[in-house]
Amino acid sequence: MLLNPWSLALTLCSLVVLMLGAVAGKTAARVLRFWEPGSDTNRQIRLENEIWLSSTLVAYGLGFQIITLILFVLAADQFCQVIVGAMCATGALLANPYGMPALMVKLFGVFFYGFWILLHQLDIRSEHYPLVRIKYLALLLVLPMLVLDVSLQTLYIAGIKPDIITSCCAVVFGETTGTTTNLLTTGYSQQGLLVVFIGSIVGLMAMGWGLLRRWQAGLAGLYAAGWLWYFGLSLVVIINVISSYVYAMPYHKCPFCLLKPEYHYFGFALYGALIPATFFGASAAMAGLVRGKTGLSGVVDYYQRFAVKLSLMLLLIFSGLSFYHYLKYLITGGEG
Amino acid sequence: MALKNIEKQLNILDYALSSLWRRRAKSFSILLVFAAIIFLLASFQMVTQSLSDKAKQVLAYTPEITLQKMSAGRQEAIPLAYREQLAGIFGIRRVVPRIWGYYFDEVRLANYTVMGMELENMPEGARLDASLANGKMPGPEARGWVFVGHSIKEALNLDERYTFSLFRPDLTLKAFTVSGEFSRDTDILTNDLIVMNLADARDLYGIPAGLVTDFCVYVANPKEIDTIAKKISTALPSVRVLTRPQIQKTYQVVFGWRSGFGSICLLAALAAFVILAWDKASGLSPEERREIAILKVLGWETSDILATRFWESLIVSGLACILGMTAAYIHVVYFAASLFRPVLMGWSVLRPDLHLLPRMAAGDILLILAFTVIPYLAATVIPAWRSATVPADSALGG
Repeated sequence: MLLNPWSLALTLCSLVVLMLGAVAGKTAARVLRFWEPGSDTNRQIRLENEIWLSSTLVAYGLGFQIITLILFVLAADQFCQVIVGAMCATGALLANPYGMPALMVKLFGVFFYGFWILLHQLDIRSEHYPLVRIKYLALLLVLPMLVLDVSLQTLYIAGIKPDIITSCCAVVFGETTGTTTNLLTTGYSQQGLLVVFIGSIVGLMAMGWGLLRRWQAGLAGLYAAGWLWYFGLSLVVIINVISSYVYAMPYHKCPFCLLKPEYHYFGFALYGALIPATFFGASAAMAGLVRGKTGLSGVVDYYQRFAVKLSLMLLLIFSGLSFYHYLKYLITGGEG
Repeated sequence: MALKNIEKQLNILDYALSSLWRRRAKSFSILLVFAAIIFLLASFQMVTQSLSDKAKQVLAYTPEITLQKMSAGRQEAIPLAYREQLAGIFGIRRVVPRIWGYYFDEVRLANYTVMGMELENMPEGARLDASLANGKMPGPEARGWVFVGHSIKEALNLDERYTFSLFRPDLTLKAFTVSGEFSRDTDILTNDLIVMNLADARDLYGIPAGLVTDFCVYVANPKEIDTIAKKISTALPSVRVLTRPQIQKTYQVVFGWRSGFGSICLLAALAAFVILAWDKASGLSPEERREIAILKVLGWETSDILATRFWESLIVSGLACILGMTAAYIHVVYFAASLFRPVLMGWSVLRPDLHLLPRMAAGDILLILAFTVIPYLAATVIPAWRSATVPADSALGG
């Protein structure tokens, strides 16, 4: 189903990002080959200029990638209208085996670009550009990922046949197990999940508080790992617990319908808090890895405290948002 | 730190605005062309969307299942006796036979849609007389009455009169009396429609007794539509079973396809615009080189100049979006999308004058942005970098 405005927009955006990535990749290859920090040849000066180009391109790439991520989910939501049996984005994404991987690659891409921009920002804070080689090696890795992204997305769109029967989200995320495919096997009890969820929030808060009082590399690593765990857990909790309270329908468990206008774009706030929180929480420890390079220790220290503070703030916002509908239900007894 | 950063960006924004104003001829030309492109794409998107919304509204009036008899791959009249074979299927609320066809009026060169039904047999909620603006349904025994849509009334000049005649296939005349007019709300469906008694329709078209063109099957529980459709097609293999969700999906696909096709055509215009934007952004005049060199001497960094260029692009695209989308909205709502209607709507001689009301959700705006702003930003980023890396000495030295 390539001839559809949503498919066309996605393809167009991906091609644009791919083009930007290719130009940045060309710079990366030249930097890796010819970079000489001490020299003042013409070529070195040109390369130092090109660093600006590549970083700007990656920053644009990040922005575009975030837009395509949203566009992809919204497109899936549109596609479900023409796929028999699909009632929302979940059904549309599961209509063929490429939908979910494409979404995952896009989500991973957002984190990857984010980390790259962080490396770049740290790098340009030092006069010696100590991270140039690491940075451009990482940039070369972006290209295959972009190609994978575009291919998966194209395969997904091309593979959508408007008459394929897929499970709608009521079945996919629902309690019924058996013949239907479940995106998440819901063997866990809601209460148990919530206890683990709250426990994780408290644990992260305690670790963050500890880090702000006294910085320890080991604890920072644990904090980063904690965030990755929390990210996965949050997705499970959103699907199994939170979403049905937002929809006020016990059997509607879908992480994508949250993004729709019917639910006041609640999902954008929810994911808009969770994804940056995870990024900053995990990146504090990542930044610690390059602390030993010349001229970076001060910058890294500053960034780490900033990132931990920001991640804790976003965690508070995210927890507040995720418990809002649940508590509202418990207190007022649900939708009036 | 964060506050300082915001202040810096605000200052850069200020500079970007003044720099756009200094080069107003260039900025406005880009802005206008960009707005025109956005206008075209957005109108297309809005028309498609409001048409598919309209189709959804209209389909709400149609029966859950329609049965047509097929012979040699073409539709033909269906015997009324088939109704008995449907009697055993549970879940069917009502089966209403219908004669449905077109009537070409040779005097006025217009096509009317004629529908003959046993109106009194239709289930509550699907009754056609519910959408009448005036008049009421005559009793089941009454003959020769019709309900007409707005365009029919105009085409037949029925202002004062209540009677008119149509030709039978053997060119004898059959007279009708108008006993009601459909309200304008259902124009897309009823504009060119003449509804009459089943027996009158059979008489008008000369269809033998015991035959109709199709059956409307009303189903009580929408969840059972597919199961009942399956049972019907097993019981009556020669019959084509059309379900309402199927028709709805087909409309969606067709509108999506048409809009995609239109977008592809507009991609050529978009590509031309991107080349124009690239070209305008690349051609650095000596004054601009001097300006950048002076900024650099004053202590601006490459990243600041890149930020200025980014803000400039963002301002231009933002303004173009507002202009283009507003124009598109006006075009669709007040001019009924006169530019694109022939492409998106089917054929018909009597065109209902549609009142389209586009519903722009955030997602649709994002779609249009992705189509237009992203290529524009991408086209200006490399020229922006070229201009930002002008060495300070080269421009001032000369």
